[in-house]
Amino acid sequence: MPSLRDIRRRISSVKSTQQITKAMKMVAAAKLRRAQEAITKARPYATLLEQSLTRVAARAGTEESAAHPLLASRPVKRVELVVITSDRGLAGGFNSNVVRRAQRFLTENADKYEEITLSTIGKKGRDSLKARKVALRKDYTGVHAKLSFDKAHEIAGELSARFLSGEVDAVFLLFNEFKNAIAQVVRLKQFLPVETGPAEATASVDFLYEPSRTELLADIVPRHLEVQVFRALLDSAASEHGARMTAMEAATRNADEMIGALSLQYNRARQAYITKELSEIVSGAESLK
Amino acid sequence: MADLTLEIVTPERRVATLQADEVRAPGVLGGFGIRKDHTPFMSQLQSGRLTVVDGAREVHYAIGGGFLQVADNKVMVLADSAEEREEIDVERAKRAFAEATERLRSLAEGDENHPVEAARVRRATARLEVAGR
Repeated sequence: MPSLRDIRRRISSVKSTQQITKAMKMVAAAKLRRAQEAITKARPYATLLEQSLTRVAARAGTEESAAHPLLASRPVKRVELVVITSDRGLAGGFNSNVVRRAQRFLTENADKYEEITLSTIGKKGRDSLKARKVALRKDYTGVHAKLSFDKAHEIAGELSARFLSGEVDAVFLLFNEFKNAIAQVVRLKQFLPVETGPAEATASVDFLYEPSRTELLADIVPRHLEVQVFRALLDSAASEHGARMTAMEAATRNADEMIGALSLQYNRARQAYITKELSEIVSGAESLK
Repeated sequence: MADLTLEIVTPERRVATLQADEVRAPGVLGGFGIRKDHTPFMSQLQSGRLTVVDGAREVHYAIGGGFLQVADNKVMVLADSAEEREEIDVERAKRAFAEATERLRSLAEGDENHPVEAARVRRATARLEVAGR
């Protein structure tokens, strides 16, 4: 039986942990709101760009065989998987879900492709993949610290260059897709070659293009790729805060439960101590008679 | 009046949705204007000034490249950056202009960084122009 002082010490330790988890939950909630806003703000551009891409690519594709080198698919021998995680932990299964999915991808596709290279965005994914002795081609650092479109530009540019030079034949992004504040889904998305949707039926009017359709497409495709990376990063950021909020909420609740149980134990011990004292006094007085 | 709906978006946010009689934009092949019932048209834009005319009112935006699309009297500008006059950081634009001009001068015509710096100069110039110095 632990002494009264031990129990008291444990209660205060759990209480201070609870204070931290409570604070983290509130911080995550505030950050989540901001991240969600960023997603909403980025949406119009992405939607409009995708429409333009579909329109231009559909028309360009009928004339020339491949509308743009980044749209051209070829036999896939070498693939690259870009694993997006967060820089910080304490977010429930947020990072480990992605890492586990990445490993599954590696084992499932080991025979299918000649070579699979991995690159990571986010410290957590890098560290746990390294710990599992998985070779990484590249780690993009400092992306999450200040999430900007420039970073997406840089990453998309490098991946495209590797695709164009023939170092890889396909690139996939693996990240947590943001569903809502409590749900994230690990999503594997083909990044390169670019898949364009079917041409809309209303595209009967022909556009005038300046300088030319091909040149416009050469301008739109890289932008589209940047947007894809940017969206994945934004989604991952929002998911991270959502996951952390849920995890910290659960931790706070668990701490409450633990404090309850410990208080009960403390009171029982105290009661037992008093009873013991009393019976000692009584028996002491008894023997004096 | 106000026959066009104009939407300006950048990757990070929606800058503006407004009504306009005329839109003037810096196309890569030269500036152009759009009025009611323009034929469906798509153009690449370079850094410069985008002017929106609505009645007697003119609004200017400094945009940093992108492209524009018109169809059914709807104009969509997908710009890399777009700022209205009040949003422009004049000091920063001046500094960027000075630095980029300096670097541009030290580079040879065929250098791979030449177009990059030239684009920087154009962006800064567009900002300063719209801000009215």
